[in-house]
Amino acid sequence: MISLQNVTKTYKNGVTALEAVSIEIEKGEFVFVVGPSGSGKSTTLRLLLREEEPSTGEVFVAGKNVVRLSSLGGIPKLRRNIGCVFQDFKLLQDKTVFENVSFALEVIGKPKHVIDTRVPEILDYVGLGEKLNNYPDELSGGEQQRVSIARACVNRPLVLLADEPTGNLDPNTSVDIMRLLDKVNKIGTTVVMATHDQAIVDAMRKRVIELDKGKVVRDQSRGVYS
Amino acid sequence: MAFAAMSTAFIALFLFGLALIIAREINLVIEAVTGNVQVAVYLSDPVKTDTVTRIQSELQQLPAVASVEYENKDEACARAKQLFESNPAITENVPCDVYPASFRVTLADTAQYAQITAALSCEPDPTTHDITCTEPGVLKVLDFRDILDRLSAITRVLRNGVLFIAVIMLVSATVLVANTLRMGMFARRKEIGIMRLVGATNWRIRVPFLIEGLVEALVGAALAIITLFLVKVFVVDQLRGRIVWLPLIRNGDVLAITPWILIAAAGVAIVAGTIGIRRFLDV
Repeated sequence: MISLQNVTKTYKNGVTALEAVSIEIEKGEFVFVVGPSGSGKSTTLRLLLREEEPSTGEVFVAGKNVVRLSSLGGIPKLRRNIGCVFQDFKLLQDKTVFENVSFALEVIGKPKHVIDTRVPEILDYVGLGEKLNNYPDELSGGEQQRVSIARACVNRPLVLLADEPTGNLDPNTSVDIMRLLDKVNKIGTTVVMATHDQAIVDAMRKRVIELDKGKVVRDQSRGVYS
Repeated sequence: MAFAAMSTAFIALFLFGLALIIAREINLVIEAVTGNVQVAVYLSDPVKTDTVTRIQSELQQLPAVASVEYENKDEACARAKQLFESNPAITENVPCDVYPASFRVTLADTAQYAQITAALSCEPDPTTHDITCTEPGVLKVLDFRDILDRLSAITRVLRNGVLFIAVIMLVSATVLVANTLRMGMFARRKEIGIMRLVGATNWRIRVPFLIEGLVEALVGAALAIITLFLVKVFVVDQLRGRIVWLPLIRNGDVLAITPWILIAAAGVAIVAGTIGIRRFLDV
């Protein structure tokens, strides 16, 4: 599903974020990417989204070489197959829960009847079936992250990328969010999650890829944080 | 900001239209004064058919002459009536009979004007500066080259001056519209970021902003067109009839330049759209 082959990424300012990294992730896997700040976790996720291009090496997502995609059609199409969740939720404050999720379908041109069935369905799935018409600032952090997960999953992506999704949440809420991500993974979505949260990684017992200074220093199935 | 963009677009397009209208007005004056010919050979009454054919062939044989057109008395009268349409005092009181028949000559080489006067054995009258001719049937020859040259020099200066200001204003309008688009995109950068993440195409993201730019430019164009009509009604129409010899632009002239104003507005919108959203182009 995801393949990084000997990828090096050097930014324009000379910083080398990744150095000769090779990672293979199969369909349906749940993978933690761990490591200290500046180790290359975010760069890895940005490469998968084709927000950055590798300096050398190849990146494949869902069988496509992302470097070769055109910005006119190829890259948007790639991103429709990838859901994204962030530490800061990235919700639009002036839109309701329903509108935040439906926005993701509207802007890729989905017809109204698809939106009207899928959005309540996914919000029900993440446990927010009762809060369709609330605004983000009326929700708790955990609930806002659920909205963000609903938005990431509403178009049924093959891959879900999560960048520190529990970074702003208290431990109990974090556990709830992890249960939800696990649930999304169980229905076949490949989940890649960058995190600092040791307790969560240790509790989940999933594959762990550890990065340090841009290199893969550990790749362990059913691993712990360190 | 949108208001600034719109009002600059309005002023720019208004000046642009004004330049075009001035050019049309001056063309009308030239037409009125010279009938758009460089040299006119007037025939004395009564006009005889054989005189007409003889002088026509004589003129056509001259190497300096590009074309010769004969205008009989009726045609001369009709043209005068059309020219002074807005001055019934002239058209009603001057009988058709006074308008002389003429040959309207366009020169291939304006410097060789003397060929015509020589062929018709004409000489300038030292007191009136009219050119009178001894050739039978020829009343006099009028040389419009000098007037034409001066008029077109004035036209050029006036029109170019206004056009120059209009171009500067059009550039400012473009920059302001571009800036408005950019600020709009900046205000909605979070929304745009999410659109990109979920896989909206570039065009899907840009089109609303391009439409906004187009609307601003077109509102400016509409205001400019309305103002030009107001100028026509409240300035030009007030002059009508006061200066007898002066032909003035009509509604049709204003109408004729509106497509150019709309084209200029579309140009402003396209250029502003291209530079305004460039920074947000990269996916």
